[in-house]
Amino acid sequence: MARRPLLTHAPLPAAALALVLAVTSCGDGGGDGGGGGDISATDTLTVWIMEGTNPDATGFFEEANEAFTEEHGVDVEVEFIPWADAQDKITTAMAGDTMPDVVELGTTFVPDFSDAGALHDVAPSIDDLSAYNEEMLEMGEIDDAVYSVPWYAAVRSMVYRTDVFEEHGAQEPENWEEMRETALDLAEAEEEMIAFPVPGDAQYSVMPWIWGGGAELAVEQDDGTWVSEIDSDGAREGMQFFTDLAMEDDLSTTGAVNWNEIDVMESFSDGDAIMALLGNANPKAIVENNPDLEGDIGVFPIPGQQEGYTDSFAGGSNLSVFEGTGNEAAGVAYVEHLTDPDWSVRWADETGFFPGGVDELQEYVESEDPTVRPFAVQLDEAGRATPATPEWGQVESENIIVGMQQDILNGNATVDEATESAADDIERILNGG
Amino acid sequence: MSMRGRRAALPWLLLAPPLFVIGVLLLFPLGRIVWLSMREYGLRELVSGDSEFLGFDNYVALLTDPYLWNVVLLNTVVFAVVAVVTTVVLGTLVALLLVNLRVVPRVIVISCIMVAWAMPVVSGTYVWIWIFDVDQGVVAQALMNLGVIEEGGHNWFADRFWFYAIVTLNIVHSGFPFVAVTVLAGLLTVPKELQEAALIDGAGPWKRFWHVTFPVLRPVFAVVTILSTIWDFKVFAQIYLMPGGDVSGSEMLNLGVWAYISSFGNNDYGTGSAIAVILTLLLLAITIVYLRSLFKDDGL
Repeated sequence: MARRPLLTHAPLPAAALALVLAVTSCGDGGGDGGGGGDISATDTLTVWIMEGTNPDATGFFEEANEAFTEEHGVDVEVEFIPWADAQDKITTAMAGDTMPDVVELGTTFVPDFSDAGALHDVAPSIDDLSAYNEEMLEMGEIDDAVYSVPWYAAVRSMVYRTDVFEEHGAQEPENWEEMRETALDLAEAEEEMIAFPVPGDAQYSVMPWIWGGGAELAVEQDDGTWVSEIDSDGAREGMQFFTDLAMEDDLSTTGAVNWNEIDVMESFSDGDAIMALLGNANPKAIVENNPDLEGDIGVFPIPGQQEGYTDSFAGGSNLSVFEGTGNEAAGVAYVEHLTDPDWSVRWADETGFFPGGVDELQEYVESEDPTVRPFAVQLDEAGRATPATPEWGQVESENIIVGMQQDILNGNATVDEATESAADDIERILNGG
Repeated sequence: MSMRGRRAALPWLLLAPPLFVIGVLLLFPLGRIVWLSMREYGLRELVSGDSEFLGFDNYVALLTDPYLWNVVLLNTVVFAVVAVVTTVVLGTLVALLLVNLRVVPRVIVISCIMVAWAMPVVSGTYVWIWIFDVDQGVVAQALMNLGVIEEGGHNWFADRFWFYAIVTLNIVHSGFPFVAVTVLAGLLTVPKELQEAALIDGAGPWKRFWHVTFPVLRPVFAVVTILSTIWDFKVFAQIYLMPGGDVSGSEMLNLGVWAYISSFGNNDYGTGSAIAVILTLLLLAITIVYLRSLFKDDGL
């Protein structure tokens, strides 16, 4: 009598046990670790590609993957990850041992992940590393090891509505004051439009004004410690100029305090913004969203405070192969496939980004396309990277620069107060506090 | 084994499957969090698996951080109290309305409030964000047209009070249907004779509710209050998804969001786990206090 009910319950623990076994066995998938064997050991390659401000990439990957499968007999599955979730998704995948085989990493994240030991060293497998953009390659270099390969370069410049400029007789400004006056004139002429959105949640839109004021985000001293110049007079002048465009001159909109780069792009493609700080892939994505704007988009490099250009954040993406998936060899082959001249130039043409290869970039600097050349000039002559230290990733993930910008725009802190606390935070993080 | 021994073992054998499932799904992760909270655990440790034991260093750092006391704990507790009281009061009022309705209107009203309950958290939150959008939202547009706020709009997401006012609206909106339906079920069991006797004694509606209905429904109120308290203390998505709700160091975070941002934003899993343990202990303490008062009154 006592035993019968037991039998009916027996399947439950068995099922639970099976579940546990199934869960734990996932983690053993990459047992052979190190070398990753050869390509034939891999059936399907999982690849994570970022999405957000670039145009739709499904078509490109269908063709690129088909070509790869034909050549190597390995199927490729691409998953698109929104930029905003990228870091969370990658770290949780690492914790759960469910990493993809190949991942696109924003250049600023590369030092952090390389340093953590999560990535596969591709130096032994790739013949000519000098073919790649040097600054981007350096982000993933530790001693002789190379943990990522430059795929495409991205840079931000001033994007504007040529039709609106023409209608009101405005010219491309050549210094900060001219830029402000142009925006003021246009704001008056077009009351319904936003002359120049000043976003709060977009750190790469903030950095140029710090650099333009003659300061560095952080400088390494002789003794190896870092000092941030964000609270220097030059940086404060730049921050004052940038935030005053919103606070004093009312050229932005209140809601822009919560905007990231995607929101800025959307306001431009909705036809609301006249000028905006946008990336080189944005013009194509804007026309994709709103075909009416075709031919009405112009670009100029960010003007210098007095003359010349203001440096802009030169980022982009590298491709990395995860260590310990058992598919390292196929992963490296796929990275080489996407970064070879044919596919990387095609990707650049379809998206508006620039290829990560040195020779391939030259063509774009000489391009006659008005939405391409100014970006290439910006990248070539006035592009700058964030400090190349693994800890910089934490400055970004703790949103130090975003916090500073939002504190100023919300009126919670003056430029002096906000820059001082940001400089303190950056030094605390970079000096291992 | 003797008959007696078998009889003693039987309950445990019957309990074994659920205990096993709880152990795997609940106790193991809980133990792991406690273990993590005493370690230095970052991205590098995540990859290598080796980590350093710190004892209670993470806790000491947290408990001496003014940010915990002035921002996070304050947000968590004040918000939970306001949200629980509002949810329970509103839910009870709706239940009292429902009990006085005829069958058809009652079914219609219940169906309507169920829609609010069934709304997935993420979609619901985005609807609220959209309603309160600083430039284009219906609230901003209406207030601008009425001249209550100036033309440029007001960024309420940057203001701690308004930020949490919107979160409270969101939580109360999705939380009151559960209270209403549960209290309604209780109300239907209150004997009519009690109400009639009180009516004959000359008690008004408020006295009848407070001296007749409420004592009878005390256990029901205890349950909905405990559950609402637990839910409102660990609110996550409704804050994290709001503009500014995911910024490290902002004054909008509560314990749950702070634990997540410390872990996955700052890659400091030790500190994140320590915050999660503190939240768990806080909830346990509240639950114990509630359960004791509930059982004491019922003489259980």
